Parts: sequence; C-alpha cells; structure tokens
Amino acid sequence: MTDLTRRAPWLWRALLLLALALALLPTTDLLRLAGSLDAADGMVAIVDDLPPESLVLVGFDPDLGTYAEIRPTVRTLLADLLEHDARLVFVSLTPEGRALAIAERARLLASAVAPERLMDVGFVPGAEAALVSLARAVDGTGDGLVAGLPDEPFALGLVIGGNDIGPRSWVEQFEPRVVAVEIVAVAPTVLLPELTPYLESGQLRALLATPRDGAAYRESVAPTPLGDFDGPAPLAVLVGVLVAVAVLGFAVVSGLGDSLRSSRGREPA
Amino acid sequence: MRRPTIPALVIAVGVLVLADFLVVNDSLGELAGVAIDAAIVVAAGAALAGVGALVARRANDVWRRRGDPVGAGLVLAGMAAVLVAGLRPGAEGASDPAVGWIVSALMLPIGATLFGLLFVTTLSAARRSVDTGGREAIVLVGSAVVLLILLVPIGGTAGDALAAAADWALEVPIGAVFRGILIGVAVLVAVFAARTLLGIGSTDD
Repeated sequence: MTDLTRRAPWLWRALLLLALALALLPTTDLLRLAGSLDAADGMVAIVDDLPPESLVLVGFDPDLGTYAEIRPTVRTLLADLLEHDARLVFVSLTPEGRALAIAERARLLASAVAPERLMDVGFVPGAEAALVSLARAVDGTGDGLVAGLPDEPFALGLVIGGNDIGPRSWVEQFEPRVVAVEIVAVAPTVLLPELTPYLESGQLRALLATPRDGAAYRESVAPTPLGDFDGPAPLAVLVGVLVAVAVLGFAVVSGLGDSLRSSRGREPA
Repeated sequence: MRRPTIPALVIAVGVLVLADFLVVNDSLGELAGVAIDAAIVVAAGAALAGVGALVARRANDVWRRRGDPVGAGLVLAGMAAVLVAGLRPGAEGASDPAVGWIVSALMLPIGATLFGLLFVTTLSAARRSVDTGGREAIVLVGSAVVLLILLVPIGGTAGDALAAAADWALEVPIGAVFRGILIGVAVLVAVFAARTLLGIGSTDD
C-alpha cells in the first residue's frame, strides 16, 4: 500500500474526489435508505391524533457528534408537528443541546414560523434534578426554578436524544411524575439498545432511532411548507459504508493473516 | 477521622426525594422541591465557576504567552462575542438573533466539521488497533465490518433482508450486551447508594 502511495501520490486525493462525485449523483431505485415504513407508523399515528393547538414539550438534548444522523428526521418531525398546528415549547438540560435548540429555533423562526408557536424555556442546569423540577412544574405540584412554561396542559413530550440526559432520563424522572403526558423520542442508533425495552413496555410511545426508521418516517410524511427534508443521499451513505468496509476489512484480513503466521511459527517442529 | 456531615446530607436528601416519589404529601413535596432547587442552584453555580476558571486559565495563557495563546485568545473572543450578542442593551438573551447566528453559522458548522473528521480518524484508529495484533481488536473490528455490511442502503428483497438482519443484530445480541452492562452499572450504583444510606464505608471510598 505504501509502495502504491509512493508511485501515485495523487491516488488518495483522486479517490476522495471520486467519492464526493459519486455522492452527488442522483439516487437510483436500487439504493434505498428507508426500511419498512411500518417503523414510522407509531410516530405518524401519534402526531396525526394530536388535536389542533396542542402544546408539545420538546426536550432538545442531542449532541453534536450524533445530531447529523437524526437531524433530517428531527426537522421533519418538528415541521410535521407545526403543520398539525401544534405549539412547541423547547427546553434543554445540557449546554450542547441548548446550542442546537437555539440553532433549530432560529431556523424555524427564519422560515416564518410565528414566535408564539416556538416558545422557549431555555437551559435548565442540574441534569436529573432539573428534569424532576421540570416534571413538577408541568404537573403543577411546584413551580421550582423552571420558568416560562405556559399555564396549559401538555399533550405530548418529544425528547430529542443523544446526550447524557436523553429519553432514558425522561422515562425515569419525568414520566412517573407526569403520567398524563406521553413521551415519544428521536435518538441516534447508539441509544437504541437502552431504549427498546421502554418502547416495548409502553413508557415510550414511539421511537425513531435508526437511519432506516428516520428515512421511513420522512417518506411517510407529506412535504410541508417548511421544507422537504430528504436526509443524506443513499449513494453518499453507500460510498461511506463501502470505504469503511474496505479499510476495516483489509485490516482484519491482514490481522488474521499475521495472527495465523505467528501461531504457525510457534508450533514445534 | 470520618466526617459524618456529607453522608448525613446524602441520606437526608435521598430519603426525602424517595419519599416524595412514593408518597403524595404537599409538605413533603415542598421540602423535596427545596432540595431539588438547591441541586439546580448548585449545578448552575458549578457551571458558572467552570466558565470563570476557563476564562482565568485562558487569559493567563494569553497574558504569559504559554501553551497555545492563539487558541486561548480565540476561546476568549468566542465567549466575548456570545456574551456581547446576548447581553448588549436591547438584546433578547439566548433567544437573540445575533446569538442564533453565532451558534448556527459558526459554532455548529465548525463542530460538525470536527466530528466529520471522526470518520477518517475512527477508521485509522481501528486499523491501527488491528495492526497491534490483538485478537480482541480483530473480533471488534470484524464485528464492525459485518454490521456495516448489514447497513448497506440497497433496495429490494436483498435490502429488506439486510435491514431485518441489522434490526435483529441491534435488538438481540448488541441489545443484550448493552443491557447487561447497564444492569451491572445499576446494581453497583444501588449497592453504593445503599452503603452510603446505611453508613457503611465513607463517601470518599
């Protein structure tokens, strides 16, 4: 490999440009990111059942590293909720989530969404303690230090996960204290194993936690005036996966070969 | 010599919050609310202290020209820009459009770019870990290759089969291992909490 690089130093740059060019090509029917559309049924049904002017509490705590995976799904879901005349109340329990919430609110406000539909409670420090205080404020058992909540019942809790305080914390701390507000979540794939039991027990009413589920949800929702969020091109994903498989596969085969040779070398003659 | 103040505080607050969770009682609820609000205030104070320490450290780096004074200056400039945008007269705090612009147009794209580099650095790190010759590394990276193949975004029957296999892998073997770790951590936390509540050992152990 090193010899090849020495002979053709432009090779890596050419491969990178080729990969970028492939990612820009239009998608064909052969490639498809979405899995079964059934995966999105739960979320679609819940959003469809929301009465007009519903108040939705949005716990916005993704992290910068994994937000790219769920961003198109989150944007589609927020747009769909607004399309169903819901009013969103943003709250963040982590600084990183707060920064991303500021960006998403700014984007929606720039898309001419009325500010009264995008209320902002802001950042509440204290991790789980903040979540308990928020639950008490929503439940009306205590105002605590969480200010800015509207004095109306919430119809739904939407948790955008990724950070330490995500859907699991909401199920543990918020859901038992505010049983009237059901929780749905969008989370990166890495959180799926810890969230699946909550989905099966009904503590999470709906969950979109893999790129395939997200793509299925985006296909299930009609484009809104706020935009049509297609997500990454399947060809771009394919190129990335193939590059990763090639690099790692080569390393594994080489490693296995080395391991085999060294074990043979240790065998007694 | 053991100091009982902190364990006593932990026991009192822990029992109070637990009792409030289990028993519906207004007075208990108000007491628990005070404890929870105190935790929030302490967390906010700790965050502010952290920011203050960061400013002091970076200002010192700039002043004494040690470490990375350019980077330290950029950190201070970034903090100052957000503070000025959010706290200038007439500004709307964190909801101010200027703060939104700084976050949306500068901070998030820079952060996303850095995380985008993870694609290259993670592959490189995985390859190097296999090169060290460890069997665990080969198994780990080999499993990653199998999962990546399951995530190939193709359509049709083959795509459906791959998707079903990927879902099974995430929900059964990976889910089982992950939940096993979570249950183990939870048991350890429960044991540690019980030891603290019962006064066995010290919180500094």
